[in-house]
Amino acid sequence: MSLLDKLRAVVGQAHVLTGVELSRYVIEGRTPEAAVLPGSVDEVAAIVAHAMETGVPIVPWGGGSAIGVGAPPARAGLVLVLTRLDALVEHEPGDLTATAQAGITIAALQAALRARGQWLSLDPSDAARATLGGVLAANASGPRRHLYGTARDLLIGVTVVTADGAVVHGGGKVVKNVAGYDLPKLFVGSFGTLGVIVEATVKLRPLPDAERLVAVRFERLQDAGVALRNLLGSDLIPNAVDLLDGPSAGALGLPAAPATLAVGFDGLGEQVDWQVAELATVVVRCGGAKPAPLAAETWARLASASRDAFDTPAAVMTLSVLPAVVAETMEHGAQTARKRGLMSAWCAHAGVGHLTATLCADAPRPDPAPIAAVLEEWRAAARAGGGHASVTWAPLPVKSALPVWDEAGAAGRLMKRIKAQLDPNNLLNPGRFVGGV
Amino acid sequence: MATLTETRKPALRRELEAIVGTSGVLSEPDELLVYESDGLTLFRALADFIVFPTSAEQVAAVVRLANREGIPFVARGAGTGLAGGCLPTEGGLVISMMRMNRVLEVDYDNQIAVVEPGLVNLHLSWAVGPRGFYYAPDPSSQQACTIGGNIATNSGGPHTLKYGVTVNHVLGLEVVMPDGEIVWLGGKTRDALGYDLPGVFVGSEGTFGIATKIVVRILKKPQAVKTVLAVFERIEQASVAVSAIIARGLVPAAVEMIDQLTIQAVEDAFGCGYPRDAAAALLIELDGLVVGMDTQAERIVAACREAGAREVRTAADETQRQLLWKGRKSAFGAYGRVSPAYMVMDGVIPRTRLPYVIGRVNEIVAAHGLRVGNVFHAGDGNLHPNILYDPRKPGEEARVMAAGAEIMKVCAEVGGSISGEHGIGIEKADFMPFIFSAADLALMQRLKDAFNPRGLCNPGKVFPTRKSCVEIGPVAYRPHAIETQGLAQRF
Repeated sequence: MSLLDKLRAVVGQAHVLTGVELSRYVIEGRTPEAAVLPGSVDEVAAIVAHAMETGVPIVPWGGGSAIGVGAPPARAGLVLVLTRLDALVEHEPGDLTATAQAGITIAALQAALRARGQWLSLDPSDAARATLGGVLAANASGPRRHLYGTARDLLIGVTVVTADGAVVHGGGKVVKNVAGYDLPKLFVGSFGTLGVIVEATVKLRPLPDAERLVAVRFERLQDAGVALRNLLGSDLIPNAVDLLDGPSAGALGLPAAPATLAVGFDGLGEQVDWQVAELATVVVRCGGAKPAPLAAETWARLASASRDAFDTPAAVMTLSVLPAVVAETMEHGAQTARKRGLMSAWCAHAGVGHLTATLCADAPRPDPAPIAAVLEEWRAAARAGGGHASVTWAPLPVKSALPVWDEAGAAGRLMKRIKAQLDPNNLLNPGRFVGGV
Repeated sequence: MATLTETRKPALRRELEAIVGTSGVLSEPDELLVYESDGLTLFRALADFIVFPTSAEQVAAVVRLANREGIPFVARGAGTGLAGGCLPTEGGLVISMMRMNRVLEVDYDNQIAVVEPGLVNLHLSWAVGPRGFYYAPDPSSQQACTIGGNIATNSGGPHTLKYGVTVNHVLGLEVVMPDGEIVWLGGKTRDALGYDLPGVFVGSEGTFGIATKIVVRILKKPQAVKTVLAVFERIEQASVAVSAIIARGLVPAAVEMIDQLTIQAVEDAFGCGYPRDAAAALLIELDGLVVGMDTQAERIVAACREAGAREVRTAADETQRQLLWKGRKSAFGAYGRVSPAYMVMDGVIPRTRLPYVIGRVNEIVAAHGLRVGNVFHAGDGNLHPNILYDPRKPGEEARVMAAGAEIMKVCAEVGGSISGEHGIGIEKADFMPFIFSAADLALMQRLKDAFNPRGLCNPGKVFPTRKSCVEIGPVAYRPHAIETQGLAQRF
């Protein structure tokens, strides 16, 4: 029996896609051999076991919203689509925990939780499409990570199908747990290279009484940097502190001031009111305008503001730096691009030092050399400050011109050993992640 | 794994001295005795050498030497662990990190500190306190335990309900790998590149290598703190109140429960103002902005009253607050008034199962003819039943162990865990199958093999094993030296 026949026997004819049906699952120009949509965890395990027997690589696929992240795959192999595994398995409000299957979208999960007064404090972009499993695998997050952390802080239990087709559990259902190694941490941000996430248990939070997002405009980026430092050193407890340059602010429909701080607060109504008033005194001293309220819809667009600044982006890079140097990293980064004749747009979850920068293409088929040169310079700047930078989206010619991921050094060798232990035949999303794992 | 022959030891001692200096090696039997156990004195084993490095390079050289000889080694902090996690299982080396205890760097703008592993937890908060900062994870042994030891067990504490456990505060580590290579996992930025190696390393109980520098987050001290004591006639009411607080959308900084036996012991010993006739009390702490603090406290009071609290009072000032916390934090010492010995458990359960599980715990212990005191982190469902016993009575210790295993099983049955903050170590290694399948454990073993392929780094821990050269009960409980000095307690 061929692999396709075996897969059809597992999931049924209708859930194995081939030929033209694969157009939506093309990765970096490579068409997979098939896409398979399992309807249960056992089916996932059977699919992985069959693929391993035949040596076909597997690409786990949630909503596909982060599938462009990473090095291009050498062979697309079998796309394992998890969207049929979309059940909210358990939600016990009194425990502030929920267990859901990997394929549930973030929007659907949040809607179900919200109906009972709670939420998962993770707000990645594209929530209608992004799935829980995909968001965990890609370690996606959004502006509220400033106060509530990232997936590593919220995932308390995980079920994965490992390369040998075993169904393995790590962590548990309780919010505090040190029994055994912390497998949930291992799978967060592992981009499907160590196992296929099929189910997850997460910590929840009660919905706040009130929440507000305000914008503070600055005439100079460096003033915003000073304001940012003073804000982080103040008594205020913002849930988001984002910094936008002119093009990114424009993408959100805001006045394209040289710098805009978008600051969020939640809690009791009186706490939000007091903090917004207090924020005004902090920022006005540094040359900021009076905080102006932003529409609630703006929250969801903050993280992708720099990407949305240009109709024809040439590359997107994510930089991780110390919070205190975010503003100067933006300023120097934009200068670096300008020197090579390129436009850039920057936005940042500034309080946690997470920047996203987008370069604008000046032609339909831009020369990849100057684009790669700018990205390399940005990376060098991040590294000089003890951080790192990786290309999170780019057309193939750019991805071919520089390493997509930053260099992980000695830790990278350890990552390879972990990969070799967990996926000895190198068939789980091979070659796409840091250090070639 | 090799063991050292008596004739080989003098030569090895000279080599170790060449690395760490003559004052940095202990090998006399009476000196080794000090390191024969951690805070769990039921398990003991003697190392061949205790070494005291002062730098990562020295740690690496010692580890390479151990690798050459094929002998096991284990890193040790203050020895306040409660699961035998730093026990020298099969002889070999204990690498004490206590001489590496400096705060290397504090960056207030970026709210991080770089510290050495032997730094005492509380000393970090002291170091950054004058500038209005603190280090959030606060295990009850924080006056004695080290940050390196906290890394090993992923320590918690009362305030982890709101602020998370150790791993939520660690950004990066310099680690001497089990083969002696010095590697940075993560760094100073919030996001590590690639797999979350700092996240995996924290809580690996010393089996993935030895941390020699640690980058931690430091937090701004909250503007305001409010501490509430709620008193209940029945322990179930207190358990229900915990979920009621959560259901009202409140996340206090801490929600601690203290039962009657513990209250009475505490009051006998210290007189902290807990009502002696109460079945249970909840110690609830809110922190954050001044604005809204009263509103939140009102909601807490309402939730407790609705659950049946007979009295709810708020600490009027810092003195009253400290007194209430003293009652909670000195419970361990107070048990000495009512029992010659006790064994502390560390199960975790979903919060909503508290009423059922507390009842079961009391039934199980009673069925074994023993008494139990409960004082624990109720807000996150982390139980600490303390089974009281007399080690001089034959058979009593065995009954304690049996009751403990049954309690662990109940925690597992309700979807909980066998350890919330103390770790598995050697104590609970054989309980791991209660919550993990063979496949789960096999994956953990493969992860361990990636870090520690020769198995020389802290062998015999975490994984279930029948073979052990360790002296395991029936040996009488003895308080650890640091307990008798009043420096640490068990929960």
